[in-house]
Amino acid sequence: MPSNAIPAEDFLNREHELHYLKGLSALKGKALGGNVFLEGARGMGKTELLKQLHRALFREDHAVPFYYSFKTANLKGGYFARDYFTRFVRQYLSFVKKDPAIADNVAEPLQRLMPAIAALGLYGLIDCIEDFQAHVKNNDFYGQLIAAISAPVVAAQKSGKPVIVMLDDFDAAEQLFESSQGDAHGLISLFGESMQNRLCPHVMTGSAGALEAVFTDHSLLGMTERMRLGPLPEDLAAQLFRTHLATLKITCAPDVRLAFLSLLRGNPLYIRNLAKAAWKMQKKGLTEKDLVECYVFEVSEGETAFYWSSVFSRYVQNPTKRKAMVKLLMHAIENGRVQDRGRLSMVSGLGEAETAAILDAIDTSGIIRDENAVFQDFIRALYMKEIDGSKPSDVREKIESRYLSESEKEESRFELVIPMNANAELVVAKAVEQIGRNINLDDDFLNHLQLALIEVCINAIEHSGSYEKKIFLKFITRPDKLEIIVKNSGRPFSLDSLTEIPVEEKLRMGMKRGWGFKLVYSIMDSVKVERVGDRTRVILTKEINKDKEVHP
Amino acid sequence: MKSVPFSVASRLVGDAAVIYPKGYLNNLSGESLVKECGIYIGRGITKIVVNFSETDLINSIGISLLLQIIEDLKNIKGTICCTNMSKFLRDTFKMLGLIQYMVVFPVESDALKYLKSGKV
Repeated sequence: MPSNAIPAEDFLNREHELHYLKGLSALKGKALGGNVFLEGARGMGKTELLKQLHRALFREDHAVPFYYSFKTANLKGGYFARDYFTRFVRQYLSFVKKDPAIADNVAEPLQRLMPAIAALGLYGLIDCIEDFQAHVKNNDFYGQLIAAISAPVVAAQKSGKPVIVMLDDFDAAEQLFESSQGDAHGLISLFGESMQNRLCPHVMTGSAGALEAVFTDHSLLGMTERMRLGPLPEDLAAQLFRTHLATLKITCAPDVRLAFLSLLRGNPLYIRNLAKAAWKMQKKGLTEKDLVECYVFEVSEGETAFYWSSVFSRYVQNPTKRKAMVKLLMHAIENGRVQDRGRLSMVSGLGEAETAAILDAIDTSGIIRDENAVFQDFIRALYMKEIDGSKPSDVREKIESRYLSESEKEESRFELVIPMNANAELVVAKAVEQIGRNINLDDDFLNHLQLALIEVCINAIEHSGSYEKKIFLKFITRPDKLEIIVKNSGRPFSLDSLTEIPVEEKLRMGMKRGWGFKLVYSIMDSVKVERVGDRTRVILTKEINKDKEVHP
Repeated sequence: MKSVPFSVASRLVGDAAVIYPKGYLNNLSGESLVKECGIYIGRGITKIVVNFSETDLINSIGISLLLQIIEDLKNIKGTICCTNMSKFLRDTFKMLGLIQYMVVFPVESDALKYLKSGKV
């Protein structure tokens, strides 16, 4: 729905483009402009720009905005025509009445809107509806399609008010079909007629490759200009990220420089997803290392991974072909390009014709046209999961190691899994005792360390309700730091739920429990509680100063 | 950490009971400590010495059960003395602000002298 755009103040650095698009109807009326094809890498904010344009036009009165997304459209011609047409009627009425709810209420049948349309004197719209319904009644497939696609033109001509048509992911319209996929090529060309109309500028997004095929008519090509949406500059990218963090009530560590953001190449979608990952992982006092971790979560399991997966699904539905596509993309990433097509069937494991079809789909989608580090990491993660069969935690670790600085890389690591049984925490205590001795921690501090770990384990055993009844521990020792990560599935746990009650008060109220995390806090230098997927993760750290003894 | 299974022993010295918790003081062992003290309290003993020389590790549930004993004795105007505590145990009670609710002596004999004379 166009009404779910982000707040205008958070939509950064697109003022120029927005201003130009808002004036498009005036330009087209004077034959100075026409239709616009919005280009830009995925996630660059093309859809958001259309939504912002819709919102801006909705508030003004000089042109009627109509937004349609092909991303989620049913491409069976009859369904599409009905959907396109009814959405147009709703958005038109919604604009005239300045009531966004009318456009959003997709469940309300068209018939019920008729009295409102009549009361407003929108007779042109009534003619459109009657015309469309006649085609439906006659089961006239092409009639329905043409009536739907030309409805904005008809309404604009009858009212004299321009309609700006926004077609998101328009290249998907190439897949429109009559009754089975591929049975009616070229239905997309039906849009050509309405695109030529002076009262109806069209703004489209989609893959450049696919759109070139649509614009075979030279007069249409001449009327369509390309507008490229570039990345946000580094300072604005950082500003946008900080704005998202502030909205999510996440703070940054004082020394954090957000240098890692440059990897996202000013892509607003990635920036937003990264901030959301930090929120999902309950990060507070975000450090550069946290950023790397959130990023890796995003490209392997987060919204960015989901986004790219759904893009994949559009081009390959079959699981075997999907695997072949992953292999081919991984090959292309490792070699910096797609090599000799003939030999790539050995990589894909499919025949030459099928491999060629997948390579064509990759070309059409444009997914490797730009050097996109985020996409490449998504493919690396997908390859490790789907081809190598690696565990998600191993995938995350491998990708993380690409970005962690030398000092952050693990010096030595021990892992332990304990059952949630009575006294299992003593096994942990014993393990940490030996690990501590290996790095020369003094005995007194070791006892405290054991206590802190015991408390975290007890907390997990008592409160998580974990289905797998296991606690996963990782001990990472570096020359200057000991880090212990305790993970378990089950109910989320947050430090915010803990309230500090003075000892006297506790004793007076007969509250004898609830000392655990007070101890943990007193013993460790830093205690973080995060959520990763369905697991709660507690990270305990202790700085080790070799010149001094380590004390709680 | 010696990993000895928990046990609790006790003896009566004059009108004071001396309790010896041994091993890891957690929920199960803490319960037996409470039970052992409860037996003496039930017999009218109001002075208890807990000798921690054999207690190598404790957790917050063990601590809460120790508080239960402190409270039970408070209700009968009794006294609890803790002795032979390791630096770790003392520090732990200090961290939680609980040390003020117990009378601490380095060794058991000092506690017994105190309970007999009422002077430190």
